[in-house]
Amino acid sequence: MTIAELKETMRQQPWQVLLIRFAPYILGLIALVILPPFFSTPIQGIWTKFLIFAIFASSYDLAYGHTGLLSLGHAAFFGAGGYTIAVLNLHYGIDSLWIGLPLGILVGALTAVVFGLIALRVLGPFFLMITFALGMLTFSIAWNVRWLNTPGMQGITGVPLPDLGIPGFSWSTISFYYFVLIIFLLCFFLVYRIMNSPFGYSLRGIRDGEPRLRSLGYNTWLHKYLIIIITGAFAGVAGVLYVYYYGMIVPAHLAIGTSFSPMIMVILGGSTTLLGPVIGAAVIEFVGYFASIFTPERWPLILGGIFVVTIMYAPGGINIHLSRLWKRLGERYGSVKS
Amino acid sequence: MSAEAFVLNLLNGLSYGMVLFLLASGLSIVLGLMGIWNLAHGALYMVAGYIGWTIAVHLGMNFWLAVLLGAIAAGLIGLGIERGFLRKLYRQVNEQVLLTFGFLYILTNLSLWVWTGRFRVPFTAPALAGSFIIGDITYPIVRFEIIIIGIIIASGLWWLQERTRIGAIVRAGMDDKEMTMGLGINLDRVSMFTFLLAAFIAGFAGVIGAQFLGVYSGLGLDMLLPALIVVIVGGMGTIQGALFGAVLIGLIDAFGRALFPQLAMFTMYLLMIVILLVRPSGLVGRRI
Repeated sequence: MTIAELKETMRQQPWQVLLIRFAPYILGLIALVILPPFFSTPIQGIWTKFLIFAIFASSYDLAYGHTGLLSLGHAAFFGAGGYTIAVLNLHYGIDSLWIGLPLGILVGALTAVVFGLIALRVLGPFFLMITFALGMLTFSIAWNVRWLNTPGMQGITGVPLPDLGIPGFSWSTISFYYFVLIIFLLCFFLVYRIMNSPFGYSLRGIRDGEPRLRSLGYNTWLHKYLIIIITGAFAGVAGVLYVYYYGMIVPAHLAIGTSFSPMIMVILGGSTTLLGPVIGAAVIEFVGYFASIFTPERWPLILGGIFVVTIMYAPGGINIHLSRLWKRLGERYGSVKS
Repeated sequence: MSAEAFVLNLLNGLSYGMVLFLLASGLSIVLGLMGIWNLAHGALYMVAGYIGWTIAVHLGMNFWLAVLLGAIAAGLIGLGIERGFLRKLYRQVNEQVLLTFGFLYILTNLSLWVWTGRFRVPFTAPALAGSFIIGDITYPIVRFEIIIIGIIIASGLWWLQERTRIGAIVRAGMDDKEMTMGLGINLDRVSMFTFLLAAFIAGFAGVIGAQFLGVYSGLGLDMLLPALIVVIVGGMGTIQGALFGAVLIGLIDAFGRALFPQLAMFTMYLLMIVILLVRPSGLVGRRI
């Protein structure tokens, strides 16, 4: 629904109906704000990681779900953002957030500028392969270039939490969580705006029938190029936050395994929906955390199993079933008709 | 580079290339016929390698029996993936590719569970365990054997695809699915057998390749990546394309490792990107 439609709905419907309708968002927000302090520190870390990957997955869905571009190279944007922070710390001793974050976003987007130019020259199964090859190319660069590695090892470690420039301020797990939450909410809102803009509609048009959009005079190449750059910037944000939080980055963060994470989150949660990737990220991170307590070795097996079962038996993802359930509850108890 | 080193690298590259060929031929034909990248292909290769190890080394049985059973096991797993899953996602290409990716995770982790993470050293038939000594060069027999097997399989597959009725049906399916089905050909059945054969050959390659590569937990992905490059470089849908690409990549890998060890991986991915941009149908592939 567009902003105008949203305002229209809000004007027409009584507030009870609106409350039920937007309750999932409101409850979700309340949960994100209130719940984490009640958990132990490791679990607060899982909340943080969940939000970081929710940003990554939401942006990936703009390319995969909305535009139909199946890319195996999005980890390169994530890693580019992360490496920016790590290199700034390693070689220049800069830890300021106000330099690091914008630069990380810029580098993520610039990587996407280069990738998009190359990858969009080919179609279909070849797009998949070329994004994969580009991802692996950045992986081998990060592996081999000495400048991108802490001396004596692969990857860069010892990156501190960002310096906000506020005197007397020091980070704790929970304050970093709230910092990530603010950035997540900003990104979530931006993704929502992009999804519901005319640009977002034409992206879905490209997914459903590119020749038709082209014959209507749309520059479909430019649309696809722009969305790759936009997702690159968001992935850069996620990469920056990830490196701040874990204090390290390794070449594997650029490779195919990292591209797999947002993919499975989007598919599990439900692609082309606003909440789907966020739900997917939550399920994967929390199930992953508890699975890694009980059977750390079997986690990839569980992950692969979840993936296969979702694709086969719940192709719409979790979100569709949740929203159907919600709607049915609403119809039964609140006589909401939508 | 001395003459001996040159010959050694040439033979190394050719034998590695032949294993890549066995893997890539199946990938390439499945891609041509069904339009999907089977990302679980490398995992089938690895599982067969483990099964071959169990039979030949752990149980101490005949090596060629191990090759056969490894190939059959991989074929059956492939058949299960195709019948149980891929077929039900008819025409949903993205979902099919993602599904095979899921199976890569599942098979890799299952084999880690069953066979643990220990590296399995290369094993072979007792008769092939020695080395040839020609002049100053000492060279393991298995590498020659692999080159010969590769050439035999390549000729057989080429004959199957280009000179038989079955091959004609597969080629027709690649060119025009609707028309092929309109001629009364059960393309679903054809896809099933193609996938089965591809998985069988991947399994065969798994045990054959274990003769000098060994078997370990990350092998599935390690073999999948160069095999994908081979398909891209050689071109999809043809046996000669896969053979050409595999030999080229095998040689680049061997000489790259010898001459610029830092850049070997980089060169391959760069080559893949350049080929995708300049000739997306590959160097000797079918037109798309």
